[in-house]
Amino acid sequence: MNISKVFGSAIITGILLGAGSVLLSYLGNPVNSGICLSCFLENLAGAMRFHDEVRMSYIRPELIGFVLGSFGMAIGTRRFRVTGGSSPVLRFFLGLFIILGCAVFIGCPIKMIQRLAAGDLTAVAAVAGLTAGVYVGTRYIRAGVVLDRPAPMPRINGYVFPLFAVLLGLFFIVKPAFIVFGQTGPAAMHAPALLALVVGLVIGGFAQASGLCITGGLRNLFLVHEKTLFLGVIAALLAAFLMCLVTGQFHLGMYGQPASHLSHGWTFLAMGLVGFASVLIDGCPFRQIIKAGQGDVDAAIVSLGMLAGAAISVGWSVRATSAGPTFGGKIAVLAGLAICLVVVLSYRRVRRASP
Amino acid sequence: MFVLEYLRKDLVTSVTVAVLVCLVMVIVWMLVEHDIQQRRLALQHPDAVVQLKRHYHEIQADNARRFASVLALMKSGDYQAAFEKLKEINTDHGDSAYGYLLLARIEYKLGNLSDTIHAYRQVVDKDPDYVDKNTPLFIGTEIMDVITEARGKLSRERKLKPGDMKIKTAIDDIYYLQRRIAGGCE
Repeated sequence: MNISKVFGSAIITGILLGAGSVLLSYLGNPVNSGICLSCFLENLAGAMRFHDEVRMSYIRPELIGFVLGSFGMAIGTRRFRVTGGSSPVLRFFLGLFIILGCAVFIGCPIKMIQRLAAGDLTAVAAVAGLTAGVYVGTRYIRAGVVLDRPAPMPRINGYVFPLFAVLLGLFFIVKPAFIVFGQTGPAAMHAPALLALVVGLVIGGFAQASGLCITGGLRNLFLVHEKTLFLGVIAALLAAFLMCLVTGQFHLGMYGQPASHLSHGWTFLAMGLVGFASVLIDGCPFRQIIKAGQGDVDAAIVSLGMLAGAAISVGWSVRATSAGPTFGGKIAVLAGLAICLVVVLSYRRVRRASP
Repeated sequence: MFVLEYLRKDLVTSVTVAVLVCLVMVIVWMLVEHDIQQRRLALQHPDAVVQLKRHYHEIQADNARRFASVLALMKSGDYQAAFEKLKEINTDHGDSAYGYLLLARIEYKLGNLSDTIHAYRQVVDKDPDYVDKNTPLFIGTEIMDVITEARGKLSRERKLKPGDMKIKTAIDDIYYLQRRIAGGCE
């Protein structure tokens, strides 16, 4: 089999993502949260003192691995192309609201897959919400909504985000005084750092080559009936399910599931927001991080927006806990949906006005 | 050689590169010196794990001191008097997670399951360290034992009194406590 086909296979990437996620949980990451971009970014925001919840402050090596794995693969396969300039401020805020949506569900789309694979039935509402959100987004794309076209940029712009990941790696090793590492709570739950970094690098590399994206899989299915990425998503679910069975992490039920709540309506809306906004900015939170590593400046801006969202979600308590979504979380979900609608309305108008 | 020739040709580039090199050297030197200082300071202080252990030890000692009279009454088996004393201390010093923990244990001994469960929820809300296995405060096993006992009883009671809000709240509290003890990134 051709080696580039192996790297570029969405199914293999999906298997690595699903199995890696459960493995990281098994080796120390929080339960059902082996890989969760929103949780990782909340931890990172805390470590950088963007919020003051020490229990959620840690630099996850997986995050560094995703960016550098993607960067390495893009350089190695000569696919490091630096582009940007597509509606940067809108992308920043859509990234911010995506993480607020994730915070109300308590997890990103990858964690949704892991929760479902581990038997957490509260994730069913999230799957329905994400699917509905992506479907609505694709309807608007069909109706002509597309953000501004990105343009080629000088290469230095593409190196900034990978360098930021290197800097985070240095912070992790040197542990300067301004970086906080919590000793209790989720911050103290982590897989061995080197292993977490290697898993991140491998998944980052494969994800760059294959273009695997949770919302992208659904979008392609709805938009052009193309199943490649969707099969990767299914592979991630099946791999996570099997790994949960093997490692004894499968507990079927609605009640007593870790980091979950029973406000299914808000879960549906929150993941609807994540799906809708992800289609508008072309990728789920994981895909944005991967694209930021391969020179996509717009994705880097989305990632910074997601980091800001992570800080706000914890610092201002705009999220959900086991008790359910906070008032701020509910408002954020509705406001995020409203902003998505304003964006699609304005971009339809621009298109109509164009000759 | 090529680089040197290029720099000689363009004065602006040469000056910029020279300043840049100086800046990088100064930054590296400052970082190294700062790190050496920080490490020297850190040697004089115990590390984070030891500090954390000391912190929990202090909390436990403070709780034992503050609630000594309640603990003595509980030991003697006079739970009604312990309940009254605890109320008194809470009125004087304000609510605390440990106060709610003692309340839960007293309510359990007095046979009030719904109130026990609710008091445990207050404990977890006030201080999540009580459901964190990494801390010496962890009481997840104790709570799960009570939950296991309460779940069956409360389900039966709910069938008998479907409109009783106290039972409904207690069942909600049970689900909440189960989710918190299960862990996750919260």
